[in-house]
Amino acid sequence: MSAADWVIVVLRPLVPVLGAAMAVPVLTWAERRGAGLIQDRPGPNRVGFFGWRAFGLGQPLADALKFFFKEDITPDNADAFLYTLAPWIVMFSALVGFAVIPYGPPIPIAGRIVPLVGADVPIGALFIFAMTGLSVYGIVLAGWSSNNKYSLMGGFRSAAQVISYELAMTTAAAGVFLSSSSLRLTRVVEAQHASFLRWNVVPQFFGFVVFTIAAFAETNRVPFDLAEADAELVGGYHTEYSAFKFGAFFMAEYIAMTVGSAFIVTMYFGGWSLPFFHPTGLFGGLVSVAVFAAKTAFFLLVFIWVRWTLPRFRYDQLMRLGWKVLLPLAFANLLWTALLVRSGVL
Amino acid sequence: MSVPLTDVLVVSVALFALGLAGALLRRNAITIFLSIELMLNAANLAIVGFGAKVGGYQGQIVVFFAIVVAAAEAAVGLAIFVAVFRHHETIDVNKINLLKW
Amino acid sequence: MNAARLIFDLAGAVAFVFAAVMVVHRNPIKSLLAIVVSFFALAAGFVLLSAPFLAAIQVIVYAGAILVLFLFVTMLLNLQTEEETADRRPFQKLFALVGIVALAAILLSDVRRSGEITGTSGQPPATGAVEPLARALFSQAALPFEAVSVLLLASLTGAYVLMRRERSGSAAP
Repeated sequence: MSAADWVIVVLRPLVPVLGAAMAVPVLTWAERRGAGLIQDRPGPNRVGFFGWRAFGLGQPLADALKFFFKEDITPDNADAFLYTLAPWIVMFSALVGFAVIPYGPPIPIAGRIVPLVGADVPIGALFIFAMTGLSVYGIVLAGWSSNNKYSLMGGFRSAAQVISYELAMTTAAAGVFLSSSSLRLTRVVEAQHASFLRWNVVPQFFGFVVFTIAAFAETNRVPFDLAEADAELVGGYHTEYSAFKFGAFFMAEYIAMTVGSAFIVTMYFGGWSLPFFHPTGLFGGLVSVAVFAAKTAFFLLVFIWVRWTLPRFRYDQLMRLGWKVLLPLAFANLLWTALLVRSGVL
Repeated sequence: MSVPLTDVLVVSVALFALGLAGALLRRNAITIFLSIELMLNAANLAIVGFGAKVGGYQGQIVVFFAIVVAAAEAAVGLAIFVAVFRHHETIDVNKINLLKW
Repeated sequence: MNAARLIFDLAGAVAFVFAAVMVVHRNPIKSLLAIVVSFFALAAGFVLLSAPFLAAIQVIVYAGAILVLFLFVTMLLNLQTEEETADRRPFQKLFALVGIVALAAILLSDVRRSGEITGTSGQPPATGAVEPLARALFSQAALPFEAVSVLLLASLTGAYVLMRRERSGSAAP
């Protein structure tokens, strides 16, 4: 393997990770301005650059600086090792999901065909499920090590929520794997290339609904943010966290949102592909990446939109929804998809 | 370009011995249980190693079922453990030494 | 010494070290986290042995569900660090250690000859693909597959029944 090969191998997964990392500040700005727009108020519009208000685009920078400079407190009886480790487990499990999501077609670079995906593993989507399952540890450890009742309750609730909705999510995804006859995400995208009717959202609409709702629950976003509900649990599992560790939780939530949106786009909306567009060459590849980014951005806006529109679920409502509504619906979707595949429609 | 069987088996034996040591020497019931799970995993690794050596998917299928059975056993085992703990208020297995409380 | 062997040795070493931490550490939560890392390293080992599906299952089921169950139980029961007691039983520990070392020695002496194994199953070596595994699983192992689903249902029911708090005065079976 030559030097160029090594550079390509290193850059392939880094591109979406860096893209997500750069998208996080934009997301925080979009969240707060979007919240303002939905609530009929301007939102932050003061912080700008060199006297120019710039629609409040300097706000994320101000927030980031605040996180850096705030005092980093560790509670007295907290288990310092676990307390420090927890945010990084959540951050790791969020970031690593980008390793398998395809963000573009195979394009020729430097004389070789490079698939635009971090690692085209045969178990694609299972890898993402495995990694999001690891975030449970970060949440529970954060709640436990803070030595605080609110944190502990928040941690347990959130962990139970993540585990329950994981089931609905994987069962809904099983329908997609059935119709594309592979776990490999590049194959899932390919199978949706033929036409708009092949986008998995059309034949498996209820699977898409279940998957998206479960994605909301997995990332602890409203209406499933009971674990961090301000009114009930102060801050839930990140009550005691301040400054940079809280910043890590905060960023990890947005990155998880981005991975969730990218995953939804890949599974149900054709990923980077558009039906009438067969990209060859570098320019086609870049256009496909832009298409993927646009679709992911749309779903991120949906995440933000839903947050400021819907009230929060109560814990028992949340568990009932996950087990008694979404899981049976996901199984029904699987059965329906199996019928479609068997009868040759898909 | 593959892993020699000897390496796999050495790791498997080492993990098995560690698990056995934990199961025999610790008094904390959870740690004993974890050591048993470690032994199960060591065996799974050995089976997969043999499967890789002789070809076919039989090894992977056996390990698949082994993992599922381990999950079932962990669920029931922990339920028993919690029920015992509720009565004895301790998890030190040296103290849980009477059948009837 | 090729790359796959090197990485497997590394993963095996990590698994061993963290398993040792699990066995030795007094705090139940830290030892549980150590074994999570150990199982993760084992999953990496599975990938190198052409079993990526098993690696994913190992992380999702073992590290991500079973050990989370352990963690919940440990936290709910608020299990404390294991203390030293007067009842130290040194001879029991000594004999246990001797027995384990003897067993490991016997096994390792057999393992040393494992390079001479030449049998094959007659089937082509496993690739990293999931489809052949799925075919084998749902055709040859279809009956055990259904059986373990019943087993899981039974264990689910059993765990629920065992965890129920007994109602006072009730003698229901």
